[in-house]
Amino acid sequence: MSNTKDFIIEQLKQQIEGFKPSIEERTIGRVIEVGDGIAKIEGISDVMMSEMLEFTSSGNSEKKIYGIALNLEEDKVGAIILGDFCKIKQGDEVKCLNKILQVPVGNGIIGRVVNPLGEPLDGKGEIDIEKYYPMEKIAPGVIARESVKQPLQTGIKAIDAIIPIGRGQRELIIGDRQIGKSAIAIDAIINQKGQNVKCIYVAIGQKESKVAGIVAKLEQAGAMEYTAVVLAGASDPASLLYVAPYAGCAMAEYFLDKGEDVLIVYDDLSKHAVAYREISLLLKRPPGREAYPGDVFYLHSKLLERACKLSAEYGGGSITALPIIETQAGDMSAYIPTNVISITDGQIYLMPELFYQGVRPSVDAGLSVSRVGSSAQTKAMKKVAGKMKLEAAQFRELAAFAQFGSELDKDTLAKLERGKRLQEIFKQDQYSPVSTVNQVLIFFALVNGLLDTVPVDKISEFETGLYKYANNLGADILKELEEKNDFDEELGKKMRKMIEDYKDGLEYLIKE
Amino acid sequence: MKITAKQYAQYLYQIVSDKENDQIKDVIEKFAIALKNNNDLVKANQIIKQFIEIWNFEKKIVEAEIISAKELDINIKKVLIDYIKELSKANEIIIKEKIDQNLLGGVIIKYGDKVLNGSLRNNLTEMRSRMIK
Repeated sequence: MSNTKDFIIEQLKQQIEGFKPSIEERTIGRVIEVGDGIAKIEGISDVMMSEMLEFTSSGNSEKKIYGIALNLEEDKVGAIILGDFCKIKQGDEVKCLNKILQVPVGNGIIGRVVNPLGEPLDGKGEIDIEKYYPMEKIAPGVIARESVKQPLQTGIKAIDAIIPIGRGQRELIIGDRQIGKSAIAIDAIINQKGQNVKCIYVAIGQKESKVAGIVAKLEQAGAMEYTAVVLAGASDPASLLYVAPYAGCAMAEYFLDKGEDVLIVYDDLSKHAVAYREISLLLKRPPGREAYPGDVFYLHSKLLERACKLSAEYGGGSITALPIIETQAGDMSAYIPTNVISITDGQIYLMPELFYQGVRPSVDAGLSVSRVGSSAQTKAMKKVAGKMKLEAAQFRELAAFAQFGSELDKDTLAKLERGKRLQEIFKQDQYSPVSTVNQVLIFFALVNGLLDTVPVDKISEFETGLYKYANNLGADILKELEEKNDFDEELGKKMRKMIEDYKDGLEYLIKE
Repeated sequence: MKITAKQYAQYLYQIVSDKENDQIKDVIEKFAIALKNNNDLVKANQIIKQFIEIWNFEKKIVEAEIISAKELDINIKKVLIDYIKELSKANEIIIKEKIDQNLLGGVIIKYGDKVLNGSLRNNLTEMRSRMIK
């Protein structure tokens, strides 16, 4: 025992002797004005733009309050306060930390719910921090990039078929409130199980109850094993909402640098723009259109540019971004929606009319586009989904026309019938992603006219039955399809045969 | 356009900097009249404050504050003043002294918006935080 005691004392002595007090020159300032999450500081003459500041509040010295310098004026500095600004008083000391705002990153954040500063919110204890990454970072340049070529399967039939998303793409999800925007993103996250994709869900200004529900759902689906949630709730100050997407992106960049694929969801960027507007107006920056500041475009473009597909020499990782924008009464031509539409590589437009007709997810095939994703589609999917987008758009137009009840020719009728079945296939329950092979199978059945004898109201029953049947009796066909990601004539014949065999056992088919 | 207190102070510095003492009285009188005519006499206090700042900056005079746990003796003070001169590259140092027993030992030097914390208390807190790590 005495040995251990001596050892401890020896160690302690060594530690204390080895401790060299360091006296460093620090620049300090004083708070001259504080309120609404904003502080005006005098002094700190050599502060950098977006440098981290530390407020030393005299009352409470345990928990540090950080800030970011955003306005460097002639004789004062405007800063946003990340945290409880009520604890800061006039005259408090402010220290410059000589570093741009950083967040802790590492494998430790996976499976956790953190705030934008990387502090845990889920009560599961401290987070293993590997390193710190700056929140603001210039996006990878042309040399480091590569075009999108690998698919990112969302498991949602309507999206994977006609608006495919590739790894490294930025695809906007846009629509009114309560129409299933987040649901699409959550389904996409759930479908990444076993795909070697890390997911980061950034909740910006969301109700905490909604986020709690999402986390519970992700946990239930086993998706929290590869997902991290960055939460800046509706009750958090605007400054935290403003930094949240950048923090999430920095966490994603850690995995990108390791050569991994990441899916990041920003839910939602309209609230982010509103938070930035609040900060800008409080900092007395001049307002522009819809009272947003002049640099609101840059706010989103610098964030979304960080989504990328790196070439093999640079690790080959990717960040796929799914920003979400909420429109007001379907107004896509408002300021923020048009900005983000022009920044992203396409958008998924959710239509309220479709939603209330019961077509869920209510993806509008006409207004939704994916500018780069089609090059990332698998060959098998390309073969079946090639003409489907056109067909879906044509159907919508014909359906409107057919409402007049005039007599239609045979060709148009056939198109309408096909379209109805297509729309029926695109209907899908929440939290039930469909695997790629199953998607190929059902689309194959549709484009080859095998569904024409199935009544429209029986389509979903037919579909689930087909998946089960194929899983049991056509496992070798599915396996071949999955391995090749393509089908030739021979495999196509086998698939047709299997579907016909399955149909033979059904009773509800339309007799010709 | 409104003239700010800082601008007034700058003008004042420019007109007095190359004048002799007997001329200055004249200049200042004119300056005061100009202030009155512009209805800016209320800014006088601010102008004086700004003027001192500009003067100190141009003449390289630094106001420094030394906080220590107990009264410093003259030799140490001289060493400290030389040290601050070297750090701030100033010609002249105006010293303000303050005693704060909470420091336990050592000194804190403040000048401009810079702080050098060499107090025993600070070292002890730093040591504590490192040991916790």
